Amino acid sequence: MSDLIFLAASIFFFLVAVLYLNGCQSLKGGGDNA
Amino acid sequence: MTPNGWLQIAVFFALVLLAAKPLGLYMARVYERQKTFLDPVLGPIERLLYRITGVNAEAEMRWTEYGVSMLIFSCSTLLLTYIIERLQQAIPLWNPQHLAAVEPYLAWNTAASFTTNTNWQSYVPESTMSYLTQMVGLATHNFWSAATGMALAIALIRGIARRESKTLGNFWVDLTRGTLWVLLPISIFYALGLVSQGVVQNLKPYDTVTLVEPQTVTATGSDGKTTTTTVTTQTIAQGPVASQEAIKMLGTNGGGFFNANSSHPFENPTPLTNLMQMFSIFLIPAGLTVTLGKMVRSPGHGWAVFAAMSVLWLAGVATCYWAESQPNPLLHGVNQQVVQMGAVQSPGGNMEGKEVRFGIANSALFATVTTDTSCGAVNSMHDSFMPLGGMIPLVNIHLGEIIFGGVGSGMFGMLIFVILTVFIAGLMVGRTPEYLGKKIQAFDVQMSMLYFLIFPVVILGFSAVAVSSTSFGTSSLSNHGPHGLSQILYAYTSAAGNNGSAFAGLNANTHWYNATLAITMLAGRFLMIVPMLAVAGNLAQKKIAPPTLGTFPVNTPLFTTLLVGVIVIVGALTFFPVLSLGPILEHLLLRSGISFT
Repeated sequence: MSDLIFLAASIFFFLVAVLYLNGCQSLKGGGDNA
Repeated sequence: MTPNGWLQIAVFFALVLLAAKPLGLYMARVYERQKTFLDPVLGPIERLLYRITGVNAEAEMRWTEYGVSMLIFSCSTLLLTYIIERLQQAIPLWNPQHLAAVEPYLAWNTAASFTTNTNWQSYVPESTMSYLTQMVGLATHNFWSAATGMALAIALIRGIARRESKTLGNFWVDLTRGTLWVLLPISIFYALGLVSQGVVQNLKPYDTVTLVEPQTVTATGSDGKTTTTTVTTQTIAQGPVASQEAIKMLGTNGGGFFNANSSHPFENPTPLTNLMQMFSIFLIPAGLTVTLGKMVRSPGHGWAVFAAMSVLWLAGVATCYWAESQPNPLLHGVNQQVVQMGAVQSPGGNMEGKEVRFGIANSALFATVTTDTSCGAVNSMHDSFMPLGGMIPLVNIHLGEIIFGGVGSGMFGMLIFVILTVFIAGLMVGRTPEYLGKKIQAFDVQMSMLYFLIFPVVILGFSAVAVSSTSFGTSSLSNHGPHGLSQILYAYTSAAGNNGSAFAGLNANTHWYNATLAITMLAGRFLMIVPMLAVAGNLAQKKIAPPTLGTFPVNTPLFTTLLVGVIVIVGALTFFPVLSLGPILEHLLLRSGISFT
């Protein structure tokens, strides 16, 4: 049972990291690259 | 402090200086896919790997693709290591001591630790990890995490160097070339050099030998009864040490094959291996400054960054060496028997927790070098340092490990500081900040600040919770008072900085510390990398404006001075309050004759 929790926690962290990456990407507005 | 000690420190730095340029230029050729002398050997291996894995080596990636590839790779290898640790007892291979499966909390902590290049070890390796786990689960991460860090640094450098480009390179190619062309060849020769000095390399079971002089040990059990036993034999732990030791240092990983790490005579047997180990920690990070200068076509900028790193390194090692050379006021002169002042036959100072064969100068230098970078290997116990001596490793990590820094991670961390410096310089003169012809704008600064803020949030947040709880936080301490705060602060600082060294007095092998330190390590690595890559991707898309009279040059002593100032001010403002409650207060109390148990 502990193994499943830790494996799931690992995958969950990296999924959050991908969402966070998307969040960073979406912060970038247009017209910033003069 | 002695002239001999300073001479050894000077020799160390001279070697780093001499090696930086040739290695840096070589790495630039490797990552720009230019011809190198190793191509006839490694080229076919590289192509075979791409064919097996289905990688299109010519495909370029946007920063988001680069980042997601890195996250997928790291997640997969973390899971692989966790599974190996949990199954080591069941795998009938390279487990001559028949070591049991690693307990789940510890296995997860260790998997996160090695994936993030931290190598924090809440366990005794020689009695916990089989040879298979050490080699396949952990040593492979020493290569992969280092190669990942280098790839990310190169991605940011490309972002600075490229003009109106949407892409940063290919993560899989950078990972492969960094491993094959840089880490593997150096590690092979380095490991052979270590073997020549007496570092062990075998797959034998541990030896049991009879002691020449039996030892009588008296111990008090948990029931309060005192027992006396005579020990007549000793188990000599061994294994594939040299091969792991080489990449442990070269990749700024730091996880020891033995619990005593680089103070163990089988890991670090001679003064020469000690010098080799410290040199190899700085080797690639120093070389990357030259790689930076070459790839952005401004060699002077690379050397300006090198100079800033050198100034901060010198300040750290001088302070640490001075602090450790001072006598401990609570011991010196006790009953007129303890003498810690320098004399003809003794350098004087604090030798607690230090190897006599390395002495104070090489212990202070090692502690500084290992925390300037994300290495975390130790040849002395930082917990036994004088308060100000022990503060230097803490401060080095608090500054972001950008003093040469971790392999790759030090370079991208320093470049984020460079962007902040250029931004501040622009504000000072009222011009739009420019870095090597690229305008630094709102998104770049937002992402840079996100990078800087995650670090103190995880360190101070978890430390605050730990010091507030007697049941799971302070119960692991070996000392209370300000030194206890330093022990907890050091643990989370080391984890967030992906350093891995420890104030040895904290028992971190508990559910609370294993779980929260693992989260801290993951956050300190990946949540900081993502905004850094966002900066890289954004910079790559920009035009390069030609320099004008108003452009702030980034290859001058003025730039180096400003960069050092920004690093010190950001680090000092963020962590000075907690340092004043930890090592600084302990120093003042020690001078007043007060210590804590």
